[in-house]
Amino acid sequence: MNYNFSGIKNVVIKPNLCYYWPASTGETTDGRVVCAVIKYLRKRIGNDFNITVAEADASAMRTKFAFSVLGYDELCQKNNVALKNLSEGNIIEKTVGVGKTDVTLPFNEVLLNADLIVDVPKLKTHNFVGVTCAMKNIFGSISKPRKYTYHDNIVNVIVAANKIIKSDIVVVDGLIVRGSCPKKLGVIMASDNPLTNDFVAAKIMSFNPKRVPYLSLAAKEKIGEAENISIIEDGVKLAEIKKNFPHYSHTMHSISWGAQLKLLKAYTAVSGDVLPPFLEK
Amino acid sequence: MVTAGIIGLGHMGQLHMLNAMRVDGVEVVAGADKSEKNRKYAERFHVKTYDDYSKLIDAEELDAVIISLPNFLKKEGVFYAAEKGLDIFLDKPISRNLAEAQEMVGKVEKENVRMMVGVNYRYFPCVQKLKNRVDNGEIGDTLIATSELVLNGPISHAVVPVPVPEWWLSKDLAGGGALLDLGYHLIDLLSWLLGDFDVTYSILENKMHLSVEDAGTIVLKSKSCDATGIVNVGWFSKSIFPDFNFRINMHGTVGFDSTDRYIPADARINAVKEGALNLIRRVAGRKLSYLSYTYYYSSFYKIMDLFFDALKSGAEFPISLEKQLDVMRIIDSAYRLNKISLDKHSDIVQMIDSEYHLNEVK
Repeated sequence: MNYNFSGIKNVVIKPNLCYYWPASTGETTDGRVVCAVIKYLRKRIGNDFNITVAEADASAMRTKFAFSVLGYDELCQKNNVALKNLSEGNIIEKTVGVGKTDVTLPFNEVLLNADLIVDVPKLKTHNFVGVTCAMKNIFGSISKPRKYTYHDNIVNVIVAANKIIKSDIVVVDGLIVRGSCPKKLGVIMASDNPLTNDFVAAKIMSFNPKRVPYLSLAAKEKIGEAENISIIEDGVKLAEIKKNFPHYSHTMHSISWGAQLKLLKAYTAVSGDVLPPFLEK
Repeated sequence: MVTAGIIGLGHMGQLHMLNAMRVDGVEVVAGADKSEKNRKYAERFHVKTYDDYSKLIDAEELDAVIISLPNFLKKEGVFYAAEKGLDIFLDKPISRNLAEAQEMVGKVEKENVRMMVGVNYRYFPCVQKLKNRVDNGEIGDTLIATSELVLNGPISHAVVPVPVPEWWLSKDLAGGGALLDLGYHLIDLLSWLLGDFDVTYSILENKMHLSVEDAGTIVLKSKSCDATGIVNVGWFSKSIFPDFNFRINMHGTVGFDSTDRYIPADARINAVKEGALNLIRRVAGRKLSYLSYTYYYSSFYKIMDLFFDALKSGAEFPISLEKQLDVMRIIDSAYRLNKISLDKHSDIVQMIDSEYHLNEVK
């Protein structure tokens, strides 16, 4: 990658550790990819800079446990890099315009002060927004743990997060991807722009990126190049990756799950049967 | 009419409350929980709430309490209710460890109250069918019984993303991990099916670097027959409801049987069938088969029904405290035996290492 690394002092690597699920589920970034990124950076920059691997707490995940459960404690110790919980420490609120509205989001100063941000997301589908890759991974770096409170305005919030936090390099962990099921694809993608990356990622997952609301808005906000994308294929063809991806219908899932819950609620209301509380909320 | 209070209105407490409200001759008078959100859930069903269970017990006229507290609060909850003369339904595991369990059982005996532990897996329809076949001698003498229960534990959220309570991940507060949480059910089932056991082998895993075990295998030997029981548990699976990775396989001198043979082939078709039957029952004015559309969750209603039936009739509880102490004895032995296994393993590794170095030097 032709990236100019001169003058870099503080690097933040942001993997996707959304829950405590191991990398074999296709949900979280494989530590081996993060290790490879660390080695690559040391090779290119030398040793006179700081690397921090960072993740924020999520609605159902506490970073302190995720680092331990997923082996990141050990990984960072072995590679002599720092680990940071982005929900702790000095949090600064940043406001940015998205379309005609302003969005204010809290971010950790470690992320805001980084000279280089390496976004290391997963290649996977998402029940709520369809595509989750580089841009959604930056949404995950918002310091507020209860991120589901952003779900009503998620399109604007994902775009706003990526306007505030600009990923310099994206390295996608596609070793095990997750669509309708996890699958070993053994793919690594790299890009210097999260939107450009996600347009390609969306196509691999059989989404039309222009119809993914947050990607479409991000393109309008000129977060990155969405039209004339130059792709270098090394070893494996994009068409082959797309063919092998375990495709999943986001729309059908939403309709199916929503309809089942509605039917269940109607049934319990009419019959007087019990609705287990965990299905109700 | 039996009056009951719910102590702890978290996920399990809420489910017990909804079930108890549907048991004939039971009035759920009130519930208690520190969480305002949990109290509001109960209030939606016109159940009076308190922010402290001692206030509930002191203020209300109760016959019994349903205790759904975290493991580290169970003992004090049981002690308080027992001292006030209340009968108790207690979620499994009975306690964090054997010593605490013995104190709790001693307390309820001293106060002359009754307590039943909610080992609802006995009332899974598939387990009931297996039990009938074993009791009827249809698979002969069981020589090997294997049991498996691998669930999400703390690594995956339920339908709604909420963090797992942190006490789950603390050895001090929870008492144990996958063995205490899941193995409790399997050990109870194997003992119920085949009689008393001793532990002969135990290996507990800590792949997730938590302070409690996240997986384990223990081997049991029957005290009264030739049966060997194997318990496999794990907290490492991402799958959630309606997936349920549970089974018991019985290998006998006549043949083989498994709970897998009796579970519905398709959970959704079963839900539609059972739901339709309940709607017919409703129209016909008959009692519903509560939660049968979920298959496994019907056991929670069943066990609540049995608890209150025994209270009303004065009959013995179907689940004895003596058997629950046995389950805790086995778990206690498995923890101790695992420590010995690990020490031995460490010795073997050191021995191999030293031999390897010797060979290298040579």
